Amino acid sequence: MKITIENNEAKFLFRIADTSLILAQRMAELCSNAPFLEEDIAISNCSLDLFGRAEELYKIIATIEGNKFTPDDYVFRRNEREFFNIKLVEQPNEDFAWTITRQFMHDVWAKEVFTQLSSSKNEELVGLCSKVLKEIEYSLLHSRDWMYRLGLGTEESNKRTQDAIDHLLKYVEEIFNFDDLDKEYFSDCANIERVWQEEINRVFSEINIERKEIQPLSMRDFRDGFHSEHIGHLLSIMQYLPRAYPDAKWS
Amino acid sequence: MDKFEQAFNQIIEDDLKVEPRDWMPEKYRQTNIRQISQHAHSEIIGMQPEGNWLLRAPSLRSKQVLLAKIQDEAGHGLYLYSVAETLGISRQEMNEQLHNQTAKYSSIFNYPTVTWADMGAVGWLVDGAAIVNQVSLQRTSYGPYARAMVRICKEESFHQRQGYEIMCQMAFGTAAQKEMAQDALNRFWEPALMMFGPHDADSVHKGQSMAWKIKRESNDHLRQRFIDRTVPQAEYLGLTIPDKGLKFNEETGHYETSPFNWDEFWNVVNGNGPCNQERLDHHKKAHNDNRWVREAAEAYAEKTEAQVA
Repeated sequence: MKITIENNEAKFLFRIADTSLILAQRMAELCSNAPFLEEDIAISNCSLDLFGRAEELYKIIATIEGNKFTPDDYVFRRNEREFFNIKLVEQPNEDFAWTITRQFMHDVWAKEVFTQLSSSKNEELVGLCSKVLKEIEYSLLHSRDWMYRLGLGTEESNKRTQDAIDHLLKYVEEIFNFDDLDKEYFSDCANIERVWQEEINRVFSEINIERKEIQPLSMRDFRDGFHSEHIGHLLSIMQYLPRAYPDAKWS
Repeated sequence: MDKFEQAFNQIIEDDLKVEPRDWMPEKYRQTNIRQISQHAHSEIIGMQPEGNWLLRAPSLRSKQVLLAKIQDEAGHGLYLYSVAETLGISRQEMNEQLHNQTAKYSSIFNYPTVTWADMGAVGWLVDGAAIVNQVSLQRTSYGPYARAMVRICKEESFHQRQGYEIMCQMAFGTAAQKEMAQDALNRFWEPALMMFGPHDADSVHKGQSMAWKIKRESNDHLRQRFIDRTVPQAEYLGLTIPDKGLKFNEETGHYETSPFNWDEFWNVVNGNGPCNQERLDHHKKAHNDNRWVREAAEAYAEKTEAQVA
């Protein structure tokens, strides 16, 4: 099965949908591995929200594309170079500081993204945004609270958080290299970056974290389906069954 | 017998509930702690064999349903730890008992889940067996436990349907899927029946627990109910129960099975099942690797409370 994308709006929405999906899969890895039971449940909640969000976005994409493919086709039948998530969300759960920092950086971005998309001309998308924005409030509350606990908790937690941030910041620059498609469907691209930088800098300064200068890396853009090496492993696990049994049906 | 003991006996006799602040015999307290913490640990360790397939679930829907189900189990564990806490043991103590193996959990979770069909078999058979037991426990004499069971049973019946749905999909699917379904049934059938515990004649805790109405029905009685309910479900799926001696007794109206392999049961209970070590190591690793996170949260709470004060 070769998945094709015809419409610009679909192309654009894949960036958001894939980002939700890949982060959801990453967060699901914490199931039965969280620091304590309440946190296990909270992370599962965030993961479920993200899977649900991805599924709804794939449905909207499928409609735009004339229902040539289903959401499950999009999830289980595309290859590495056909995914368009930001690289930030495919980074692994090295420790809990990575998990939280990645989520926090994503949530701040996602809040402004879905705020802007709620004035889209696509009514289905607008409807989804009002639901998603409530979920993001919860998720952001969760990830931001943890940033404070980890940044200001102990010397070790501060160091681990600093290490996670130093690494993950490398994958931020590309998010704000907006192209024409972004400019067509976001109402104010520059504001996405402004809001993100302000909130990140504010929180970092309050939690005793230094924002080091990151040299721009020669890293190709996620908008063209470029990834870190992690994506292939993530997909090979996620897509194993439908790939191994192409004739089987799964509910 | 003093007036406290008399009052306690009266509660049991009248089929009322014992509440946390009531006087109770120390052995009643300890038996409940043992049973409730064992139940809680089972919910928590039970997350692992299902978590094993979470990242590989074959559709968006099945992945979300499975994650929600495992999350329910975490919730049940949390709820049950709280019930046990009303009897004067802390969650930390229970966790230590799990790690030093003085507390047990259901042996069924020491079996590996090797194919996706096992997600069906676990929901259908393991949760199915658990429900039969837990419905009975809705009438247990310790009030908080009985009330917890009412709530937990509602979610468990959803879990069983989720499992049976997967079994249907597999059994009515391609030849490869049907083969996986049969294989899962073959592996989980007898371990699921042994979840009800030893035969009544060999059950150590039976007498006093029945007298105190902690346990309301015998192991064999509950097991028979499960078998009678499950055999027709397997027939509907077109799958074969892996017991050549299985037959329906027209006179009693019950199915009869071949003798179980109790040597395997006791060997798994005593720590020598296929995944005992892995389950425990997984739990310890998550706990120990994240110690710094809990320390950070505590340190932060102390600092911010100090500021408020």
